[in-house]
Amino acid sequence: MTADFVVAPLVVAIATAVLALPTRHWPRLQVGISLLGAVVYAAAVAWLVVRVFPSTAVTYQLGDWPAPFGITLVADPLSVFMLALTAAVAVPTLVYGVRAIDDHGQRLSFHALYHFMLVGVTGAFLTGDLFNLFVWFEVMLMASYVLVVFESDTAATGAAFVYLVLNLVGSAVMLLAVGGIYAVTGTLNMADVARRLAHAQAWGIDPAPVVGLAVLLFAVFALKAGLAPFQFWVPPAYEAAPTPVTAMLAGVVKKVGVYAMIRLYFTVVAPASVPLGLGFGEGAAAFVAPVLLVMAAASIGVGAVGAIDGDTFEELLAYSSVSQIGFIVLPIAVGAAVPSVRVLAVAAALVYALNHALAKSALFLVAGTIQEATGTTRFDDLGGLSGATPVVATAFFVAALALVGIPPLSGFFGKVLVFDVAVQAGADPALAVALGGAVLTVAYLSRAWTRGFWGPSTAATRAASPDRVLLGTAVVLVAGVVLVGVGFDPVYRAATDAATAAVDPQGYVEAVLGPDAWTVTPGGAGP
Amino acid sequence: MTEVVLAVVLGLLFATGTFLILRRDLVRVVWGVSVMSQAANVYLVTMGGIAGSVPVIGHGGADPGTVTDPLVQALVLTAIVIGFGTTAFALVLTYRVYQEHGTIDLEAVEVEP
Repeated sequence: MTADFVVAPLVVAIATAVLALPTRHWPRLQVGISLLGAVVYAAAVAWLVVRVFPSTAVTYQLGDWPAPFGITLVADPLSVFMLALTAAVAVPTLVYGVRAIDDHGQRLSFHALYHFMLVGVTGAFLTGDLFNLFVWFEVMLMASYVLVVFESDTAATGAAFVYLVLNLVGSAVMLLAVGGIYAVTGTLNMADVARRLAHAQAWGIDPAPVVGLAVLLFAVFALKAGLAPFQFWVPPAYEAAPTPVTAMLAGVVKKVGVYAMIRLYFTVVAPASVPLGLGFGEGAAAFVAPVLLVMAAASIGVGAVGAIDGDTFEELLAYSSVSQIGFIVLPIAVGAAVPSVRVLAVAAALVYALNHALAKSALFLVAGTIQEATGTTRFDDLGGLSGATPVVATAFFVAALALVGIPPLSGFFGKVLVFDVAVQAGADPALAVALGGAVLTVAYLSRAWTRGFWGPSTAATRAASPDRVLLGTAVVLVAGVVLVGVGFDPVYRAATDAATAAVDPQGYVEAVLGPDAWTVTPGGAGP
Repeated sequence: MTEVVLAVVLGLLFATGTFLILRRDLVRVVWGVSVMSQAANVYLVTMGGIAGSVPVIGHGGADPGTVTDPLVQALVLTAIVIGFGTTAFALVLTYRVYQEHGTIDLEAVEVEP
């Protein structure tokens, strides 16, 4: 089905970003436009949710060029699930930004950059074209470079430089992979790539190089997601960026890498049948599965150990997000190796991603609120916050419990599904990693709790007076965590619909290229 | 022959880029990234095939059967523009790092807070 409303979130975000530039002499108007833009964005995404779930894929052909010749935007349940996650995090963090970022910064560029980052994220989720994915990545990254260095102090410039160079190298590698896939398959449209790989002989292509090229792309996506061994840019960048930006980077921008992995391995290159002779299945997904498992396990371990060693709330949370991204990727690794649990595996990853987006953004906003209220987030200078600021403490406590995985919060279902995938697949190493990681999560979060919120109060905490608006945005996200947990059934159904769409290349191809496209070959006859 | 030359040149470009990125001098790192992204662009052009003549059908009196793939050239144009923007930003950031840290020696720039 083709419809214009697919492009609506993208247009809203671009329009808001552009309008936020000339209105900088009228700060109230600028803030109003920015907030209105975010709300309309959320409404556009909600409209997509209504239209796309449970199992419709709606496309939009840019410039009315038919696929596969033009660029196609595809809103299928997987894309829209990720967009919903984005909108849920973007609105509260923007409100936080309006309150917390200084007036000069807001007038100069904050609102435009924030919405341009949203444009990049939205485009990356919606696009059905490999090169276009590269372009949206660049849009998102360009805005995020400036947002990371926004405070422009000593720490921010150093961290931003590392973040910049790493991502520029990643972009060059991505170009290589995209160019290679074009040379092998003769197309850049994701659906067309999937179709040609499915009937490689009829299309006269050799699918073998795609396995290696997909690994190149995978490395780039792992870099964006901050998986070990590419995790080292994460803590400095997250600590240097202003709080609302960190919440967006951890909550949403990281998930773009995860989404791209799911889309690439389960939709685009999944149909390629390449005998590997390695003894653990066939095809590009099976090839990358052991690597992904090791990287997920390493992320969970390295992140958790770094978090236990963290001196400040931000450092602890930044390392924690490295660890949690491991939990999101772990079921994907299992699903890549064992096709029979693939739908459940992707659903588990999506539920966990949603939980992490809400809970981790909430925690970063709480940390920022503590910074505003007490002037520090160092554990050495804090203590007794639970008595001084009970609402802050409650928000932190609930979000932390969600990360640990206590029912009835969203994190409980995320963890249960991750364990369920490992058990059903008989993947004992994955189960062991998940259990060990869960224990470490309890360890570092209880450390943050005992050092920050319990114990004798200090000079900083006695004078604490948290800002109500800042706290309110964190409370909204925490309420989201509770809401997703209590009303989990629709969320689970949405995640399963998204997962079903993600692992169904034929459905994706038919939605983009037409009802008979899956079996059509260059000669016109079926294979 | 052209293929061999291009392959060797691409390898050298990537080697140069990697070498420069591993330097301690921030400006050389930026040069390295720049060289590497240009190498990726050259690679992209070769991916469209290097046998044809002009990329536009019927332009310059070329035989329509021998046109080279114009799509990769469009891709490269996009990539060049993006690379231009990011290089400009990287150089500005390098200057800002110099202002904040008083050095462009990567060993002396504190990344960990």
